[in-house]
Amino acid sequence: MMIRLVSIAAAIALWWLLSLAFTASVLPGPWLTLQTLVENIAAGNVLIHLWMTLVRVTAGLALALLIGVPIGVLMGLYRQVERALDLWVMVGLTVPSLCYALVCFIWLGLNEAATIVAIGITAAPSIAINLWEGVKNIDTRLVAMARVFEARRWTVFRRVVLPQVLPYVMASVRFGLGIIWKIAVLVELIGRPNGVGFQLFYWYQLADMPQVLAWTLLFTIVMLIIELAILKPIEHRLFSWRPRVEL
Amino acid sequence: MNDVVFSVRNLVKEFPSRDGAAPLRVLKGLDLVVRRNEFICILGPSGCGKSTFLNILSGLDPRYSGEIDVGGRKFKAGKPPLRIGYLFQEPRLLPWLTAEQNVDFAMRSCRIPASRWTALKDRHFHLTRLDAFRGHYPHQMSGGMCQRLALVRALCVEPDVLLMDEPFSGLDELTARRLRVDLLDIWRDTGKTIIFVTHNSYEASFLSDRILMMSQGEVQQEIPIDVARPRDYDDPEIFEINRRVVKLFLEVAQAAAPATP
Repeated sequence: MMIRLVSIAAAIALWWLLSLAFTASVLPGPWLTLQTLVENIAAGNVLIHLWMTLVRVTAGLALALLIGVPIGVLMGLYRQVERALDLWVMVGLTVPSLCYALVCFIWLGLNEAATIVAIGITAAPSIAINLWEGVKNIDTRLVAMARVFEARRWTVFRRVVLPQVLPYVMASVRFGLGIIWKIAVLVELIGRPNGVGFQLFYWYQLADMPQVLAWTLLFTIVMLIIELAILKPIEHRLFSWRPRVEL
Repeated sequence: MNDVVFSVRNLVKEFPSRDGAAPLRVLKGLDLVVRRNEFICILGPSGCGKSTFLNILSGLDPRYSGEIDVGGRKFKAGKPPLRIGYLFQEPRLLPWLTAEQNVDFAMRSCRIPASRWTALKDRHFHLTRLDAFRGHYPHQMSGGMCQRLALVRALCVEPDVLLMDEPFSGLDELTARRLRVDLLDIWRDTGKTIIFVTHNSYEASFLSDRILMMSQGEVQQEIPIDVARPRDYDDPEIFEINRRVVKLFLEVAQAAAPATP
């Protein structure tokens, strides 16, 4: 904890030092950025944009998991599915998120559904790959053990297979969230009248650097809170049985 | 003949080969009768089909030809009509469950009535001297303790037969030796039927009522071990039997593969 605080303090100090060398329109210092952020919040227009982005991120993540997890699991379980889909998962991974966003907006219109579909489809391939690896790593000897002890198919799945796949699902959520934040902002920038991405682009067009940084800072803080207050505790609860690695 | 647990006749198992050549015959007409409360060792070199045989008996492998009768009834492929307790070469414990939860998992899977759980667990944790470790996770226990826990799990499902696939081969000799002695005590106290697969001739000589020497997918020799029980691990009589078993073992191996040095 101590080390973490020191490293944050050092980063802020570095930012401040660098900002001394530039004007505020190029690199505003931490204090000015924070002030801008607080003013925005006081003006009352932050929450709606942040909320819209969070909704898109959550819905996009849900959609990405809904598509990615079954595909990855099936690819891990059945060789035929693996052969049929591995090329397409790679293609899906390579196509830039901008292309998905443009296609979705053209086909589905400039609306929320298109936004969420674009986010979900962009993130799904990497989640599928993660799960594909995870299922391939399942210890089949434990499955044989459960079958010898007369476990039903559903029991084997729930109590032997699922606990082994869960770490990969969890990794997918964190990893997926990281990608999805970035896609969401990009998609908002090109096709939405609100959200953090829209705000970033708006202030960018006005060349207002303190505002651009203030919104980036807000975004980063919210993301950290989600990571530390939600994901870490869940992970800790799920995997408390694991021994710690000591080198 | 009511005390016959397993009766196996002309059991054949083939694995299809990849390049269209003749399939690989792992079991070539195996015959075997196992009686209630018997301790049988199947002794054979690696790759002689021992594990394949246990996989069929346990119902894990439903593809074979030949006849298996269980207590006079036909053996249905994939679903043995009797309860099996299986001890693998490795403990195969679920690492996210504690020792006790691992045992619970097996008892629930086998649908042992919950009213019997406490008594079964108390008894078998005590027999294996693991009482103090019920709340431990597998990674907090030594290899020998994990294998003892696997034995608790196998015993707690109230098996009709215990199948053991080289359960002590992965342990150091001192631990393995202690577990062999323990196993005989537990066998005496519980009266289970045990089919024990091993490549260790001394282990087989010490443990079993009879040794079935297996090679090339067939039982080549049957050697009764008439040493009185309880047995002493360092009994000279067992050493002498082991010497004969090893000699036979070498003869069988040479007859099977005369060309290889």
